Amino acid sequence: MTVSPAVRKTFASVLFPVFGAGVLLMPLASLAAGQKVEKHFAVKGRPVVMIQNVANGRIEVKSWKNPEVVVSASQPSNKIGLDMEQAENRIDVTASVLDASAQESDLSENIQLTVPEETELQIKSQSGLIYVEQVLGDMTLESIAGDIHLKEVSGYIIVRTTGGTLVCTLCGGKLKFDSVSGSAQILQPSLTNVTLYTSFGNILFDGDFIRTGIYSMKSGRGLVEVRFAGTDSFDLNAQTTSGTVDNRAEAFLKPDSHGIRRSAAKYAKGFFGTVGNGLAKVELSSFSGTIRILKRD
Amino acid sequence: MRCKDVAQAIEQAGFPPLPDEARGHVEGCPACSSLIADFERILAVAKELPAEVEPPTRVWVALRSQLEAENIIREPATLVPVESSRWWQDYDKIIRGRMMATAGVAVLIVAAGYIQMTHKSARSPIPDEATVIPEPRVLAEPFGAAGTKLDQEEQSLGPLQAASMSGVSPVDNSLRENLATLNTFIKECRKRLQEDPNDQVARDYLSAAYQQKAEILAAMMERGRSVN
Repeated sequence: MTVSPAVRKTFASVLFPVFGAGVLLMPLASLAAGQKVEKHFAVKGRPVVMIQNVANGRIEVKSWKNPEVVVSASQPSNKIGLDMEQAENRIDVTASVLDASAQESDLSENIQLTVPEETELQIKSQSGLIYVEQVLGDMTLESIAGDIHLKEVSGYIIVRTTGGTLVCTLCGGKLKFDSVSGSAQILQPSLTNVTLYTSFGNILFDGDFIRTGIYSMKSGRGLVEVRFAGTDSFDLNAQTTSGTVDNRAEAFLKPDSHGIRRSAAKYAKGFFGTVGNGLAKVELSSFSGTIRILKRD
Repeated sequence: MRCKDVAQAIEQAGFPPLPDEARGHVEGCPACSSLIADFERILAVAKELPAEVEPPTRVWVALRSQLEAENIIREPATLVPVESSRWWQDYDKIIRGRMMATAGVAVLIVAAGYIQMTHKSARSPIPDEATVIPEPRVLAEPFGAAGTKLDQEEQSLGPLQAASMSGVSPVDNSLRENLATLNTFIKECRKRLQEDPNDQVARDYLSAAYQQKAEILAAMMERGRSVN
């Protein structure tokens, strides 16, 4: 029997998700609390791992060469429930509070993940460190009070915290950071697109600006510090409403080299300048904090 | 009638009911009857799907803040006729349904794109009086409506916050401290904008602060729900 394309399309877009999910979403584990648990999930290609930790605790993600995701978890009490499920390449790990009246010290869940090098991550946690090392893939990492440390990761990286601090070492790809009072340290990056915003934290960018890269770093009250290399090439725009600009690189900053006439916003203090040929674009801003620009030794 | 005619009939007339001719064919055709059975199962499952959920207030607050920050829409000024402000007061009622909300957002996005493309440098009046106040005008406080709404949400969280304070949680403390600091920062930005209403840097920070406040309130509500 031949079926028209429209029917096939309807069939594929409606039937497969509905029934496919039903077949594949087989809960693999609902684990008893108060113990250490470990589960192995075979995957193909690039898996997506999602962790939702309503409890507190550390989440650590490392990579290996095997096409397998290993989840190890430990919890001190039976006040936390841990559910894991796999739907083909998607693995969901959820830690939830079973007893709302439990003591704070009982509400913790430490989770260790070992994933293939190319893995996408979505992690949401309350407090406790999120540590990710040597993972290539897009990731969204959220924490309220926990810090987030990334080492040798690459992809489109989105980090959101309320009070947690980001330390990103040897990161590549694109980075977006948003925090209320958390700080951000970007060390030796190879990032082509950076957007950092914190209302009260500090920002430190210590590394090279990739040519054609776009970098925006803003802090409401904190310090925005940029340490660049003499070989870098970028246009710089620094503005503050009531803060200060500490320019320690005047010798390297030339007037705009592209012939575009620019002027600072009427009500803001700041300056424009160019290092090298001005290939990358760097925007620094602070409402009432300090913007510091210096060249690395 | 053949199989492809049945498919065409479904495509054109919908399903169910099936036209008589097609029904006759389906009864004697295993392939078509199997397809029809699949469609019936899909419809049955679709009817069991949960009802659509109305987006939380913070989504609208964040959207409005962003549009105001980009000067795409403006806060109604004190000189604005009553009709204009009433439009925004009734905004919540208008966008109750998800379809209406989606359509509203789509219209805003299209309008924003059009305005940005055609009015990049010059600030000329935009033909929708309901959303934009023609110049000259007295500037109202930026994001005033969003701020008021967030303050109301914050006040409504009072009992919820108290309920989750049974155990002293560092996470709850962090949320409360950051909310308090954000409120102070919002005051600073507003003060600055009262002095210099055209300070775009201050306006951007105020917009971001309101968005972060909305997210903190959402997180507090979520935590309240998850432990109560």
